[in-house]
Amino acid sequence: MATAIFEQLINGAMMGSIYVLMALGMVLIFGVMQVLNFAHGVLFMIGGYFAHLFFFHVTGSYPLSVIFSMLSLALIGIVLERAIFRALRQNLPMQIVASLGLILIIQNGVIQLWGPAALQMRTSSVSSLVKIGQLSFTVQHFVIIAVVAAAVVTLYLFLMRTRLGTAMRATSQHPEAAVVVGINPNRVYSITFAIACALAGAGGALLGPLFLIFPQMGDGPMLKALSAIIIGGMGSVPGAIIGGLGIGIIESLSTLAIPTDYRDTVVFAILILMLLLRPWGLFGVRVRGEY
Amino acid sequence: MRKLVLSAVCAVALIAPAAYAQEIVTIGIVTAQTGPLAAPGKFQMNGFNLAVDQINKDGGFDIAGKKYKLALKVYDTHCSASEGAAAMQRLASVDQVSIVLGELCSPVVSAEAPLAQDEKVPLIITVPTAPDLTEQNNPYLFRINAHNGQLTKALVDYIRSVDAEPLAFIAWNNDAGRGGVNSVKALLPKDFKTGYVGYFNVGEVDFSSHITNIRNSGAKAVMLLMDEEPGALAIRQIRDAGLNVQFIGTLAMGSNRFLKALNAKYLDGMVQYSAFPPNAPIDRIKKFNENYRNKFHEESHGFAAQSYDAVYVAVEAMKAAGKVSGGAAIRDALSKVTFDGVIGKISFDKKGQASPPVYITQWCNDGTRKVIFPKDMAAGCGAG
Amino acid sequence: MRLSYSLIVTVAILAFGALAPVIFRTQPYVLYVLTLALCYAIPVVGVNLLYGYTGLVSLGHMGFAGIGAYTTALLMKSAGMPFLPALLIGAIASGGVGLLVGIPCLRLRSHFFIVVTLAVGMILYTLFNNLDSITGGAEGLPGIPRPQGFSLGSWNVEFRSVSGFYTLTFIITALVFGLQALLVRSDFGRSLSSVRQDEALASARGVNVFAHKLTAFALSAAIAGVGGAMKVLFLRAAAPLSFELQESINLIVMLIVGGAGYLIGPLVGAIGFIALPEFLRAAAELRLVFFGFVLLVVARFAPRGICGTVELLFRKLSGKDASVVRHS
Repeated sequence: MATAIFEQLINGAMMGSIYVLMALGMVLIFGVMQVLNFAHGVLFMIGGYFAHLFFFHVTGSYPLSVIFSMLSLALIGIVLERAIFRALRQNLPMQIVASLGLILIIQNGVIQLWGPAALQMRTSSVSSLVKIGQLSFTVQHFVIIAVVAAAVVTLYLFLMRTRLGTAMRATSQHPEAAVVVGINPNRVYSITFAIACALAGAGGALLGPLFLIFPQMGDGPMLKALSAIIIGGMGSVPGAIIGGLGIGIIESLSTLAIPTDYRDTVVFAILILMLLLRPWGLFGVRVRGEY
Repeated sequence: MRKLVLSAVCAVALIAPAAYAQEIVTIGIVTAQTGPLAAPGKFQMNGFNLAVDQINKDGGFDIAGKKYKLALKVYDTHCSASEGAAAMQRLASVDQVSIVLGELCSPVVSAEAPLAQDEKVPLIITVPTAPDLTEQNNPYLFRINAHNGQLTKALVDYIRSVDAEPLAFIAWNNDAGRGGVNSVKALLPKDFKTGYVGYFNVGEVDFSSHITNIRNSGAKAVMLLMDEEPGALAIRQIRDAGLNVQFIGTLAMGSNRFLKALNAKYLDGMVQYSAFPPNAPIDRIKKFNENYRNKFHEESHGFAAQSYDAVYVAVEAMKAAGKVSGGAAIRDALSKVTFDGVIGKISFDKKGQASPPVYITQWCNDGTRKVIFPKDMAAGCGAG
Repeated sequence: MRLSYSLIVTVAILAFGALAPVIFRTQPYVLYVLTLALCYAIPVVGVNLLYGYTGLVSLGHMGFAGIGAYTTALLMKSAGMPFLPALLIGAIASGGVGLLVGIPCLRLRSHFFIVVTLAVGMILYTLFNNLDSITGGAEGLPGIPRPQGFSLGSWNVEFRSVSGFYTLTFIITALVFGLQALLVRSDFGRSLSSVRQDEALASARGVNVFAHKLTAFALSAAIAGVGGAMKVLFLRAAAPLSFELQESINLIVMLIVGGAGYLIGPLVGAIGFIALPEFLRAAAELRLVFFGFVLLVVARFAPRGICGTVELLFRKLSGKDASVVRHS
């Protein structure tokens, strides 16, 4: 039993790390721009496709492919922000409609360009195994956990120690005051979207080799990431991290006790409970009159 | 003089096309070409295309001295009941086909079949396995493939003959997977220990939770109710995790393409049911495989064979009915037709269900397969 | 002046709808698609009541449609109950579940309410899919009977043919739209609008905000249930995938593209979303991409949807200024 729990902890930490990447992006966009980006799932997905493209057609190096994928996603993020989301700040229903439009375009565009069948991307980190006792994991499991941990630390340092990061925090706390102290909000919005999309792309590029790369791969993780940022607290970065990891681990552990066809139900039930009992999340700030 | 030449030219112009007249008969196809089930849908479509190509290359088919060639009108129903029904209605009233073939998902058939009856356009399904479909007293619905009950009967006999208790399942959380689990459980004796049943959504490829539970439950055998793509991943992950369970698989897992996605070591000993053993020394199977490989440059698939046969059966029915339109006559002809297809002898019972032979093949340790069921077709390694 | 415009439009639509079986007598496919569009329009009316008039976005409404659908289907198929009582019970069931869901969840504001409804919708979908013994599970529930026909003197009314069922659907849809109009134009509807515009102010003026929201939610769930029941009766089969998240999202899309807050918004949206792609089947793969662009354009430039854009054009053409209040 102990081995089972340990095995699921590692698996949960791995999937949780992927959720963290998505959740971080979504919480940054929400915190700074009050935009809920439902299209984050397809951005995750094209991160995987781009990584596949770069890996097989440009450079045979997996790390470089991931980096190029992240850069491409950052550029796409800047375009999307400028063209679509900047004007929709604080207009939630239209954000939903725009996100849905994006999902339709990108998902079906990918099907047109790459075909509907799934792509495989076997890197060396996926073929090599790590044995712990009688369990075995791929190297990629730990690569994902390590990379996300590094990303979290980098993001923290960026937000706390750099001018741009501080500008982002300022804009999320009080947009008008940020303008007063000389911060250009548009630039902050662009950077936020760029970072968020790069993180999502990294998620797809990291998960793709482990499983498969296919047009619907981001749909599930997006819902889990959305649950994560709500459970963690809508504007809170630590909340997104704890929420993402938590959901990943709880999801995995729950399969030891509950039939797997109810695994998603467990996550959504927790989400509903959280919303009923503590809507501002674990780390969110309770604003009077908001709930 | 001029008048004579003119009338001669007119006469020739009128006769010539009639002599070379080639009518095109359109058959309707419903399948899923996009979405998570696009991969199995492609095999189904390939089977249809291969059959149509061959029939047309041979000059088409012949009814009462007139030659007919085939064309296909294909609609992508995305595994959605409303799209399927709308496609069926369109095929019947707008495209006015006389037969519809295909469909990938059982619940969509439930919506298409009543329309087939209303519009008198026979529907021959080639892949969906829900047993219920042919229990609705619909004289216009025919199924060429074996349904879950028939498929699992053969497997259950095998399961009981080896040491497979407790038996675990990993299945798609859709009609094919859930239906398969229910069918197997229904056929196993009450005291047979079934252990862990794990479901996953189409598109999910992380089997770690299932692996933990399988290990925990001490399962000796694992039944995989899914198609090739996730199947290869599941087997790889399970073997990589150090579990040496007996695998029991489905249709597509007895192919060389599947072997290429894995390796002989992972597959050794695995057992799966099959619509036809790809290497069986039966002429019609060899020819089918050859033609499939020539056209599509890859190994064939059971769904393709089932769909290929369906086209031929449709043509046979039209020939027997003596007409290419008029659903009621074609339906009557279908109910009486017998045809020797790639998947075996095809004829439909009173409920419209065919009973093609279900084979069970087993992987040997060198990457070849042997046929272990039906007993009278048993063959050694290399012939499966 | 405006009232007579609405009246003319309403009469025209009703007349066209009633005469459709005659107009399209030789084109059953057109009737078929229209019937399907009407089956979708009904749940969109529910969503319109909720979003267009009360300001609440629900991303799980097809779950309620599913409850109505499976309840009615099982009653008619397994218990042999006739159509009208089964439909009524289906509506009550979905309305009841809506009530149960609404009571704890309606005190949440926008973002959270949306996510809760999403979660509820997903849980309902899982139940439809996994509870094989009750709903038939993923393999679907085949063989759902059409309502029994009857005879009035020498006139036989049947619902098995496309035109027969179309007529039934048309009548039910008209009744649902009539209900919507009644609700919206009543005091209840006006209070709903005030809740949408400013909850605090409405509450200060004596409107019981929670009770209004709850009633609207339960009603919209019941209406969705009616829509779901009609759809599975039409298809004669129920499948869990008909009630999954994507379908709930489609309801919102239909409403917004059609025009939220307009009485015929749901009709325009449903016909646009269902009928247009069916008739444009030629560009099958690309139509979804095209639709995505339509959504982007609507989100950025035309949030009032088609009805809103038409109203704007009318205003411009008739020379009036855009007035502040445009909800009926």
